[in-house]
Order: sequence, then C-alpha cells, then structure tokens
Amino acid sequence: MLNAMMTAALAKTEIESALAQRFGAAFQRREKRPIEILPTGVNEIDALVSGLPRGAITEIVGAVSSGRTSLLLSALAVATRQEETCALVDCNDTFDLWSAKTAQVDLDRVLWVRCNNRLERAFKATDLLLQSGGFGLVVLNLADVAAKCARRIISSWWFRFRRALENTPTALVVITPIACVRSCARMVLEVNKETAVWLEAIPVALKSDDARLRIKRSREPATTQARHLSLVTGSNQNGSPESLLPHSRLFRGICVRVNQERPAAWIGSPVKFSAQVYL
Amino acid sequence: MFACIYGRAFPERGRDAATLLIDLAFTFSPLVEQTGTDTVVIDVDGQELLFGAPVSSGMPESDWALNIANEITRRATLSDVKVNVSIAANPDVAIHAARSFKGITVIPVGEELRELGGLPLKMLDYSLAGIDQEKAEEIRETLGLWGIRTFSDFAKLSIAGVAQRLGQEGVRLQKLAQGKSERHLHLFQPPVGFEQALELEHPVAELESLSFIFARLLNQLCANLNSHALATNELRLYLKLEDKTKYKRAIALPVPMRDPKTFLRLLLIDIESKPPQAAIIAVMIRAEPVKPRELQTGLFIPLAPEPERLELTLARLAKLVGAENVGSPELLNTHRPDAFRMTKFRLNYRSGKNAGNTSRLALSAGRMRELPAMGFRVFRPPWPAEVQSMQQRPARINARGASSSYVICGQVVCASGPWRTSGDWWRADLWARDEWDVAVRSSSSEQSDVLCRVYRDLQSEEWFVEGVYD
Repeated sequence: MLNAMMTAALAKTEIESALAQRFGAAFQRREKRPIEILPTGVNEIDALVSGLPRGAITEIVGAVSSGRTSLLLSALAVATRQEETCALVDCNDTFDLWSAKTAQVDLDRVLWVRCNNRLERAFKATDLLLQSGGFGLVVLNLADVAAKCARRIISSWWFRFRRALENTPTALVVITPIACVRSCARMVLEVNKETAVWLEAIPVALKSDDARLRIKRSREPATTQARHLSLVTGSNQNGSPESLLPHSRLFRGICVRVNQERPAAWIGSPVKFSAQVYL
Repeated sequence: MFACIYGRAFPERGRDAATLLIDLAFTFSPLVEQTGTDTVVIDVDGQELLFGAPVSSGMPESDWALNIANEITRRATLSDVKVNVSIAANPDVAIHAARSFKGITVIPVGEELRELGGLPLKMLDYSLAGIDQEKAEEIRETLGLWGIRTFSDFAKLSIAGVAQRLGQEGVRLQKLAQGKSERHLHLFQPPVGFEQALELEHPVAELESLSFIFARLLNQLCANLNSHALATNELRLYLKLEDKTKYKRAIALPVPMRDPKTFLRLLLIDIESKPPQAAIIAVMIRAEPVKPRELQTGLFIPLAPEPERLELTLARLAKLVGAENVGSPELLNTHRPDAFRMTKFRLNYRSGKNAGNTSRLALSAGRMRELPAMGFRVFRPPWPAEVQSMQQRPARINARGASSSYVICGQVVCASGPWRTSGDWWRADLWARDEWDVAVRSSSSEQSDVLCRVYRDLQSEEWFVEGVYD
C-alpha cells in the first residue's frame, strides 16, 4: 500500500516536472496571497468582513431604494479619503454628484465614465480601467439595468474581470439589481430596505403598511436633538451636530439590512445599518 | 589642426550668409566655433583618412591639410560664397591668417610667427584674448607710442617688460601675436528644434501605413528629447492633405513624457476619432520641450495609475464613450439642480510626507460621519410623470424614462413636501419648482416601496421624477 502511494507520488512529480519543462509555470500551483481589504465605511459591515476584498469582485445586489448607492458612496468616500484613485463606470448615467459630495467623496479622485445606457460600453470601459491598473476602487454601476438584461450578461466578462484583477490591489464593485456575477464574485452583499424614516410626512395611501414603512409625525422644530433621536432607530441614535439640520426635503433616510450571500451566510442575523440624508 | 573659414564681404549678405557658413563648416566637422558672423573655425583633427592625398599622386602625406582647404573652397564656391581658408595648429593663428590672406593659407607648426609676423598690429583681434574694447584701445595707443607696428615687433618684446607695463592683458595679447595662445573652441550649438517632418512620395490614406511613419518620426523626436534630458507635455501634429488643406491636432499631456510608444498610440487614437478628409502627403510632428517629471516615490504613497498608461486609457475611453463623457466631475457654484461640468481627469499628487500618514488617515476617518449618507440616483433627463393629486398632494404616479428599463408606477403611500426652489430668474432658462419626496408602492410587483423625488415645474405645470433615493 505504501509502495503504491510512493509510486503514485513519484509519477505525479515526474509528470509535473515534464509539464513544467514544456509549458513553464502554467501548471504550477500558485500561492494565495493574503486578501487585502478596502473598508466600506459602514461600521457594521466592516466589523464583520473588514470591507471589500482587493483583487476580487464584490457584488452588491438590491432593488431600487434598497440602499445600494448609500453603501457605494460610503466605500467611495473611504477610498478617496485614503488618497486612492477611483473610477466609476456609470452605465445609466445616474451618479448624483450632490449626494456624493455630502457623503464626503473627493470627486477630484473619481474618474467618472458615463455610458449613456450602453451596457456593452460599460463593460468595455471597465475592462480598459482594469487593464490600465493602478486604481484602488473601480465601480461598475449596473443598478438601473433591467433584470432580464443583467441575466443575459455573458459570464466571460466576469471571468475576464476576475483574471485582470488577480494579484492587483484593485477592488471591483458591481452594483446590480439581481445577482449576476455568480461564481466570479468573491463576496456578494444583498441589500434590502427595512424601513424609511421621515422627518415629517403625510400618509397618502389608505392602507399604509407600518411594518415596512415607519412614519414619524412631529410638529416640533426640526433642530431639536430630541426629535432627531426619536427618528433614528437602533444604535445610531446619537445624532451628531451636523445631522441635526433637517433635510430640506424632509426625508431622513432608510434602515438597511445587508445579507452576505457569498462565500457564506452571516453568522447570526443580517447586518443592519442606517443611511441618513444630510443637508 | 584647425581650419578657419572667413567669408569675404559678409556684412552685406546678412545673417543668411552666416548660416550658410555654419552649414558649410558642419559638413566637415561637428566641432565648430562661430567666432563672428563672417568667421568660423573647425577642428579638423582626425580627418587625415578622409582628405589624405592619394598615394598615386605622389603628394606628401602632410599635405592633407591643403586638400581640406581645397575642398572647403570648392564647396563654398558651389554655394556661391567667396571665402578665405587657413589651416594652422592654433585656432587664433588660423583666424588671423584667414582674415589677412586671400585664398588658402596653410601654416605649418612652429612657423606661426614667420607667417603672421608681417601683419600690422591693427589686425590683432583683441577679443580673442578676452580683452574689452576700452582696455584694447589703451594698449593699442601705448604700443603705437612705443613704435610697435607689426605682430613680430610685439612678439619680440620681453615678456617681463610687457607684464610690468601692460599687465596680464598685455601678456595674453603678446601670446596671441606670437601664435602661442592656448584655448579651446567655443563650440557652436545648433538651435534645438523638437520637430520632425516628412514629405511622402505617395499620398497615404490608411491609418496602418501612417502608423509606421509616425513611429519613425516619434522615435527620432523622443531620441532628440532624451539626448537633451527633456520631455514634452504637448504634441502637435500637422498633416498636409492631398486636397491642399491642412489638418492639425494637439494632444496635451498631463505630465511630461518621452515614450514614443505612448505617443504613437495617443496619436493614432486621436486620428481615429477625427480622421482627416483626404489622403496625407506630408507629416510634421512638433513637441513642446519641458523638463521631465520629477516625482519622489515612496513606500507610503497611495496607489495611483501610471500617468502614461492612464493617459492612454483616458484616450481609449474617450474614443469609446465620447470625450464629454469621461473625466472628473466638478460641481458648479449654483443652486440649479444637477449642475456640473466634466473636467479632464488628472492625478492628484499630494505632498509625500502627508500621503499615507496613518495618524492623519485615522484623524480623517474619525471625522467621517457615523451614519452613511443617503445615496441618490438622478435621472438624466428627468422622467416626465403623470401625477394624480389628492388634496394638493401627489397620490398616484406613473413615470417611465425614455431609455429606462423600469417604470415608477403606483400609489403614493407617503409624501413629504412641497419644498419650493427657484433660481436664475434673470436668465431665459430660469427654474422654479415644488419638490416632493414620495414613497411609491407598485401595485403589480412585490418589491418594496420606491423612494423617489418628484417635482412640479412651475413654468410648465408638468410633473417630473428627478431620481430615486437608494
């Protein structure tokens, strides 16, 4: 038995050496480098997964108004604060500069590529950026692409991106309405909106679903701290001075639930965080 | 050995003749001194093999200098220039001989004084000894009082006496008269022109063929820049077309570069985006010379793309999506919604000592807001919407973008507003609107409510969806 194992091991070594002579290092096993992380800026997520993996694809999946863009802006703000060069490939040209500015994104460090609803252009532009190298964070924003179009995206693009990203310090974030990166994504975050928080709103619908939409009425002046504290749920009730200013449009923010689908489910319950509208 | 070419009657012919003389000198040697507009000196050492006398002629080998002088005279005659040529072991002797004797003069080594001794002292060029005009006049007057009339008279004076009476300037002047002065040539540096041009024998209409021509010109251009330790931050391309028109392109580079491959790709991408309308018959590329980029790299400088590769990537992206769709966004100083402009993306290099400073980053991170800012996605252009109002509040919305994949259609379950904004009332494109933040629940799908911002344009009384919170 031992002899047979030894013989097999020797034969394997011989075959590998022969292949190495013929094909070079193509068949050699590569050592996995330790994963570098780019923080997202959302404390709840960073506490669990540290952030976005560099040299890999991270997919953020969610429906409209689920909080995907809030998470993206937070990551962009952190990356630009670390003086990294970022690129945003905007398939549907929906990147809002004012919200990016309020999220403290340094726009001078963001290369914005507007693709005017051309999906193929977006992928080609992303490919050019990844091949160019040197970017800390590259974002492919497919948030407004129809689900049926997202499903039709051929896998070879994702494999190409994954290959281009290998052993580079670039983190690629893809925002999609449905999960479409599949096995090429190292991490998939599913984002859902739990509740919307209003400063002062009037329920118009006759049947309002309080379980999903929490409406707070208040007639007190908007600049009191007590009022702010009554609006934000969970552990984030300690309003900072700048957050006391009400948003002109009276919409305060949303509470977001994030579930990690890949590579493994969260241990325990999904992560929750709140996104807030700043003036 | 040095050869001096003196152009006769040159002041009348102007600067063109001086250039002609320089060009003539450079056909013999790269070591050329332009002593005056009518005088150039060439270092002809090492040209024995080129101008040596043929063995069959029986001429002594040392007469190669005469051959050079003859050749210079012959070429000058072809250029319609009358010159005196002299060859000597000392450049100053050659200069004096060329200015004083017509035709060709060859002065053997050691016989300088014998050849020049009879020249009047007024032929002595004081500037060759580094003496200014005022001092020269003073010395000339003194020598005249002493009865010194010729080079040989001056050369025969004792050096101690000259030094005592005329100082160091007098000593230098005496050595000049003796033909024993020692100096190096002040080499003429041709003006550096960083441009390359080529006229084509046949018109070229294909880009692939043109790329070879560009590559050749750019290689020469970059080699020229490299030899002067310079780079360029702007490339200008001039094409002469078959239909007698001209085609110009300028490529501004973010940082000084001198890589011919990068330049070639940039030019080709640029031409592909705006091709010339006719075949090309002449090409000229000009580079603006600047000092090369100086960047101190360090371990803690954050990641950034290489400028050369980034420039290529930007050019390719501009070709892919249009130049107006690539760049760095800049918010305009106005309250008008979604007012911005695109600027050229440039890498931000901050001071190295600040970059990567962990304590500073920690401080920055500390200043970040505890809650993430709410994201918004803006529709460009805004979606026209059909809005049913109830008690002056939006109650039902139906909107769809021209090129959008989804619709915002459903009942408004929650609304907040209106928030009236207006501006630019002094302009034709003034804006005034009432904004609402609404939550729309779709009746058909199971997805959660869509939080969007709608507004009613007060000019047209129409409703629009500006974007969605996300």
